[in-house]
Amino acid sequence: MESLVVNNIKQRPVRALVSVAGVALGVCLVMLFTGLARGMSNDLQRRSSNLRAEIIFTRPGGMELTTSTLNLSTKYVDELLRIEGVEMAVPVGRYIFQGGRGFGFEQVEGVDWEAFARMNEMRLVEGRAPQSFDEVLIDETKARSNETGTGGTLNLFGGKPYRIVGVYAPESGARVKMSLAAMQDALQSPGRSSYVLVKARAGVDVNVLAERINEALPGNKIQLTRDLVTNIEKTIPYLGIFLRVLVGLAAIVSALVVMLAMYTTITERTREIGMLKAMGASRGYIISTIEKEALLISLLGLVAGFTISLVAGYLIHRAYGLFFEYGWAWALVAALIGVGGGLLGALYPAVRAANLDPVNALSYE
Amino acid sequence: MKTILQAENLTKVYRVGSMDVHALRGVSLDLAEGEFLAIMGPSGCGKSTLLHLLGGLLTPTSGRLVIDGEDMTAASDAKRTDIRRRKIGFVFQRFNLFPTLTAEGNLRLAESIYAGGGNEKENGERRREVLSLLQLENKMHHKPLELSGGEQQRVALARAVVTRPAIILADEPTGNLDSENSAIVLNMFQEMNYRFNQTIIMITHNPEAAAMCRRIVQMRDGQIVAPHASVQL
Repeated sequence: MESLVVNNIKQRPVRALVSVAGVALGVCLVMLFTGLARGMSNDLQRRSSNLRAEIIFTRPGGMELTTSTLNLSTKYVDELLRIEGVEMAVPVGRYIFQGGRGFGFEQVEGVDWEAFARMNEMRLVEGRAPQSFDEVLIDETKARSNETGTGGTLNLFGGKPYRIVGVYAPESGARVKMSLAAMQDALQSPGRSSYVLVKARAGVDVNVLAERINEALPGNKIQLTRDLVTNIEKTIPYLGIFLRVLVGLAAIVSALVVMLAMYTTITERTREIGMLKAMGASRGYIISTIEKEALLISLLGLVAGFTISLVAGYLIHRAYGLFFEYGWAWALVAALIGVGGGLLGALYPAVRAANLDPVNALSYE
Repeated sequence: MKTILQAENLTKVYRVGSMDVHALRGVSLDLAEGEFLAIMGPSGCGKSTLLHLLGGLLTPTSGRLVIDGEDMTAASDAKRTDIRRRKIGFVFQRFNLFPTLTAEGNLRLAESIYAGGGNEKENGERRREVLSLLQLENKMHHKPLELSGGEQQRVALARAVVTRPAIILADEPTGNLDSENSAIVLNMFQEMNYRFNQTIIMITHNPEAAAMCRRIVQMRDGQIVAPHASVQL
């Protein structure tokens, strides 16, 4: 059976498309931002959780999000190894730079690969460890997203080319690793690192060891790697509030677009509404007819929004290496916003239509 | 014969700015079931206002109106809408068909409003009977813009009668039609009146159209000046 609702939408395909796009935009906003926040957070957590060292020893300010300096002397390594309960201490240099695709930041770490790999139970899946200053390792994710591998080239430190000599797993910390000596040379910081990873001997209480390090080497920063996962969320302040504001904005965008579309629809169909009233259609019937139209538009917007989010997430990941992980809870929120916003946006025009004077509506030109 | 419509001393006053405009000045009218009544009169005499009052689209300033035993004047807006849904069918000069729906879709919409769709088998039989009577069987899948003016008005008539309302109210139904199509539509009205004993009230300026009715009422200045008028062709 043909439907007034479906036929009305088909009669004005451009306007319907704009309405659908409005709802889809709201859904996309929610899905992409929450997907990105979750994806990047989980990515950082995964990489942090692969560290087997229990303690990170650094200078105050040496492990901030944007720190690229090598401000910690590698002489601390020997001092740390002398502390009771320390099994291994491996210095790491960290350099942060703007992504080569002009979006976001990337990291490169300088490590003594053999010691770093032994400490963190890492392995080379192909190639070998860096031997000269212009050689680097990358992890499997970097190899996959950059469609490169052993034999490829990466430009670091202001466009200087580095040869990829191997791929390692599992992913941990920066996706690109060079020798610490190479990084010290590139940054002109011989004998320096960003932090030292400390592995405790079996059976040693990590908190006790941290306290012991603090007493032996006061004035430095001692961080447990298990706290790093929590701190990642804290490094992006007010992320939760930002997401909630975003959800609110998405709902407003959806509601406004649908409201404007339905308002013009009602104005255009004033005489038809007058005729519905003349035929004995109740206020409820008229409101439900308009709300059904909004519901159909919202559902189409949901499908479009989810599809675009998935495709856009995949394309952005391919282009920029950013991670998107969509959760059911946020998908439900996005769906509620799309449908709720659409229905709410259509409510005012629907009530207005239901309240039209039938005689005036029938004589509307 | 059963009285289907009883209007007592209906008045309607519009407030325009600071002016009171008296559109109806005490109209009384009784209509028996199966009557085919024409209302004639010059423009602005209150014909359309009376029709809108009889259909419950307007409320009278004073007076009483009973349709098929139900008091419209004492009813709330929702109740009047409900009475209109069950007992009244409208046909307008400008057809007022839903342009996105086919002829059949327009009829189905009326059925949907009347009884939420109701029994599809009964609806289908009644729909086919009406479409056949109005010679629209071949046009049921056409949209209004694909139909001639006469065909559109026949669809509008079919839509008005498909739910078998007690009264059909027609506001100059031939006003937009040429003489040939006017004659066809008027014949259809007559057929409905004879075949289904359908009560019809029709506003017209056309004496030939009025001549096809069983009774003619003449209005002037918001009043019925001749309850049993005649026309000269």
